Amino acid sequence: MILAQLQIRGEDDAGDSCVADNGFCPSWIADNWERYQDPFLEHLALTLISVAIGFVIAFGLALVAHRRRWLIPPITQITGILYTLPSVALFFLLLPLTGRGKTTAVIALVAYTLLIIFRNVITGLEGVPAEARDAGRGMGLTPRQLLWRVELPLALPAIMAGLRIAVTTTVGLTALVFLAGAGGLGEEIFNDMQFRSNVVVAGGLCVLLAVVLDLLVLAAQKLITPWTRKVAT
Amino acid sequence: MPPTHTAQSEGPSGYREAVELEFAEATKRYPGADSPAVDGLSLTVPAGEICVFVGPSGCGKTTAMRMVNRMIDISSGDILVGGRSVKDRDVDELRREIGYVIQQIGLFPHRTIADNIATVPRLLGWDRPKINARVEELLDLIGLPQDMSKRYPAQLSGGQRQRVGVARALAADPPLMLMDEPFGAIDPINRERLQNEFLRLQAEIRKTIVFVTHDIDEAIKMGDRIAILQVGGKLAQYATPSEILLHPANEFVEDFVGADRALKRLALLRVSDIELGPSNGGPSIRDTALVRDALSDLLQHGALHGNVVDSGGRTVGGISMEALARLAKA
Ligand SMILES: Nc1ncnc2c1ncn2[C@@H]1O[C@H](COP(=O)(O)OP(=O)(O)OP(=O)(O)O)[C@@H](O)[C@H]1O
Ligand SMILES: [Mg+2]
Repeated sequence: MILAQLQIRGEDDAGDSCVADNGFCPSWIADNWERYQDPFLEHLALTLISVAIGFVIAFGLALVAHRRRWLIPPITQITGILYTLPSVALFFLLLPLTGRGKTTAVIALVAYTLLIIFRNVITGLEGVPAEARDAGRGMGLTPRQLLWRVELPLALPAIMAGLRIAVTTTVGLTALVFLAGAGGLGEEIFNDMQFRSNVVVAGGLCVLLAVVLDLLVLAAQKLITPWTRKVAT
Repeated sequence: MPPTHTAQSEGPSGYREAVELEFAEATKRYPGADSPAVDGLSLTVPAGEICVFVGPSGCGKTTAMRMVNRMIDISSGDILVGGRSVKDRDVDELRREIGYVIQQIGLFPHRTIADNIATVPRLLGWDRPKINARVEELLDLIGLPQDMSKRYPAQLSGGQRQRVGVARALAADPPLMLMDEPFGAIDPINRERLQNEFLRLQAEIRKTIVFVTHDIDEAIKMGDRIAILQVGGKLAQYATPSEILLHPANEFVEDFVGADRALKRLALLRVSDIELGPSNGGPSIRDTALVRDALSDLLQHGALHGNVVDSGGRTVGGISMEALARLAKA
């Protein structure tokens, strides 16, 4: 750690009194902006890939469990255990299997998203008004048509809400995957935990990423669920 | 898609031929229930007529109706639509051919009014111009302005939603309609308006209709025939409204139609339907008024006879208390 700290505050900065005093240094930030670019993109990619994979798995599980209701408790329990497992413990459990690196990180991150997305898809499907389902069946929609044309669209607000929680938590958890050697903004934070400017920039980028992704999902939700917007008018 | 071709509407001038509906000892036993919910129901609804199922809550009206489109499996007996057993039909194909208005309306909240109405035509694979034309036509038919087609169900009043429910059931021009308390959730004034509109519509489209209600007055008004069901799903009487009011089959029917059945009979007729005597003066009564309302008018004026006039105010005859008494008893 000490060595890492020496790396970040380079010799060039030795004369900078702000850096020496460990203050919040705009000039240092301006000079070192580029060092955060790659970790930021890495962070973004890890988040998106993990949420995407997690969504596909959890959504698939939810569709299966929607037909076979008895599967809901066991799936909730297993994904619940994955969710509560401390991430550091999960990295160590995975190390002998997948080694250090991005694969381990993505597996761990995916594991965290499963419960959130699964629960929300199930909740959304359970919230579909019984009379809409009944009318659909009565008009001759097949079970598959009923699912894709009535049930899933009506579950979208809940599904998208789950996606928002999954995205924001994953951005936060990705800050820890450097422990498994997968990089990300977390690595930058830990490179010099004592140096305020560094922590503020790296940490701030994390928060910014979470907020922006959350807003993007929210915007997407508004776009694909127009009926929820028009009701109030 | 050749098999769906027969299900296509030709528009207002070419309504599909209505079909006969027959219940043949149709019985439903729910698992675990001691007695059947519908017990050996046998009756025939002639093509193009409205048959009303009426009876107290829990007597099996909804169950009987939902066996027709196989939303509920028939335990024993059979139901024939146009002479064919519903059991021999592909269930989704059968349902697309039967218009269905459920008790709770059940519009899709995420679809616009136009898309809701277009549900079955889409399932049948109609092309877009034909669907659009059909939606326009149906909005006219139910008296909603065209610009409502882009709205969502939550942006409509209860009565408007109920009409859209009816339009949606009519969309593919089904030969048979099932309507479960379609005007149930509506205030009395709007309910009466919808009933009148619907009767006017039916005079034009001539569908075979099963109409469920628990309101005997609605049954008398809407039904060509009325099936009165008793708790336990037994058919107490199946007859025309005037027959039921004149000759109730048993005590249950008598109780159910109410102590005022003589008055209800008078509500089935208009003044112009009855034989008028010579006018002996008295308050003026329009010839288009219901006979019951004419009686009410006479009572109001304390008069024993009234002067029947037509739309131009010309006297066309007279109506007397005696004549009304004979009519109510007949
Ligand atoms: N799914 C079911 N399982 C078991 N019993 C049922 C089921 N659905 C209805 N029943 C019973 O069957 C009987 C008839 O019910 P049904 O819904 O047909 O009555 P209804 O005449 O439509 O009543 P309402 O006027 O209240 O709508 C009732 O006693 C009811 O409790
Ligand atoms: Mg009912």
